[in-house]
Amino acid sequence: MAATASALSLAVSRREKGEEERQLVQRAQSGEEAAFEELIRRHQQRVFGLVSGILRRREDVEDVVQQVFLKVFVSLKRFDQRAAFSTWLYKISVNECWDYLRKKKVRPLVYEADLSEEQVSRLDGVVSADQPASSSDRAEARDLLERMMEKLPEQDRELLVLKEVEGFSVQELAEILNLNVNTVKVRLFRARARLMDVYRRRLHSKPEQQVEGKEG
Amino acid sequence: MSMNSENRNEENNYVACPQYEAALEDQLQGALRGPEAVNLAGHLATCAGCRGALEDAAVSARLLAIAEPAPDPGAGFSRIVMARIRQELQTNEGKSIWSPFVAVAWRFAATAAFALVLLVSFDLGRHSQWVADQPIVAENRVPEIAPERPSLPASRDDVILMMADTSHGKQ
Repeated sequence: MAATASALSLAVSRREKGEEERQLVQRAQSGEEAAFEELIRRHQQRVFGLVSGILRRREDVEDVVQQVFLKVFVSLKRFDQRAAFSTWLYKISVNECWDYLRKKKVRPLVYEADLSEEQVSRLDGVVSADQPASSSDRAEARDLLERMMEKLPEQDRELLVLKEVEGFSVQELAEILNLNVNTVKVRLFRARARLMDVYRRRLHSKPEQQVEGKEG
Repeated sequence: MSMNSENRNEENNYVACPQYEAALEDQLQGALRGPEAVNLAGHLATCAGCRGALEDAAVSARLLAIAEPAPDPGAGFSRIVMARIRQELQTNEGKSIWSPFVAVAWRFAATAAFALVLLVSFDLGRHSQWVADQPIVAENRVPEIAPERPSLPASRDDVILMMADTSHGKQ
């Protein structure tokens, strides 16, 4: 009963929020700059997450995000509000990222060297630790994870980062990337498997032992 | 992809049954409910490949939890964007949507004007040459000698004479 009530209040609050945003978009469409600035404030964090999930070079992210909002401002009058503003905004962001990558012909970063034994054990420790790791260990683990992610196909990396790191839902990813929801789920699951494959091959000299250990 | 009896691929990783991959992802997210959850649980009890793949996926989620989301661009970001928008709008204020066409049209006009000047100067050159040549032509003109028009026979005798003249030597 309590769960139903909380779900209901969540739905109502979501609808109110949607209506509020609708009005904000209408005001921005009629040329009210303050309304558009408010839209930027509301969505900048997620657009940043989305763009940095696709672009590998952090230094390019801010410029691309600015470009995204500029495009949104210019074409806002054509937005008919049939879809949610956020979905439209995220689609523009994804297209802008792909345009950017195409123009710059950015190649994937390649790390020549594999991870050392010491790095292996640190990453293993952070992943399997019950207690929180120290901030320096976590920072190094993040760097190692970044290097492993670079070994993945572009599409896998994007999906994993957007879903697991930037917190986009499967439904949102399906809308942004123009994919079926089930396709997103399958691609995500396969991307996880490929990440684990990289993890085992890069981190463990004897993958068979790791697999057998897990089975037992 | 070849697999052995435990549903592992060549790299010895577990491979899930393709028809259960979406449900496994849902299970990982904790989003699987009702009959679908029961169906998957039944399948997992008998399929080592799906069981292993699900465990791998759970490890991958722990691995990805290390990563941090992109930092918040900060409160001033929206102001920076608005300033850039205003700047762009000011730059584009003088430009209408016809600006690119106008530029192309000017280019065409310039090319046409150049071609016209070339044609006119060529024509003028030819004309002045013709004017200069006129006195020489007049000097060297050979008086035209027009052949005398044959006079018409005035009488019957003239006709006979003409016939005799034209048939002379034909026999």
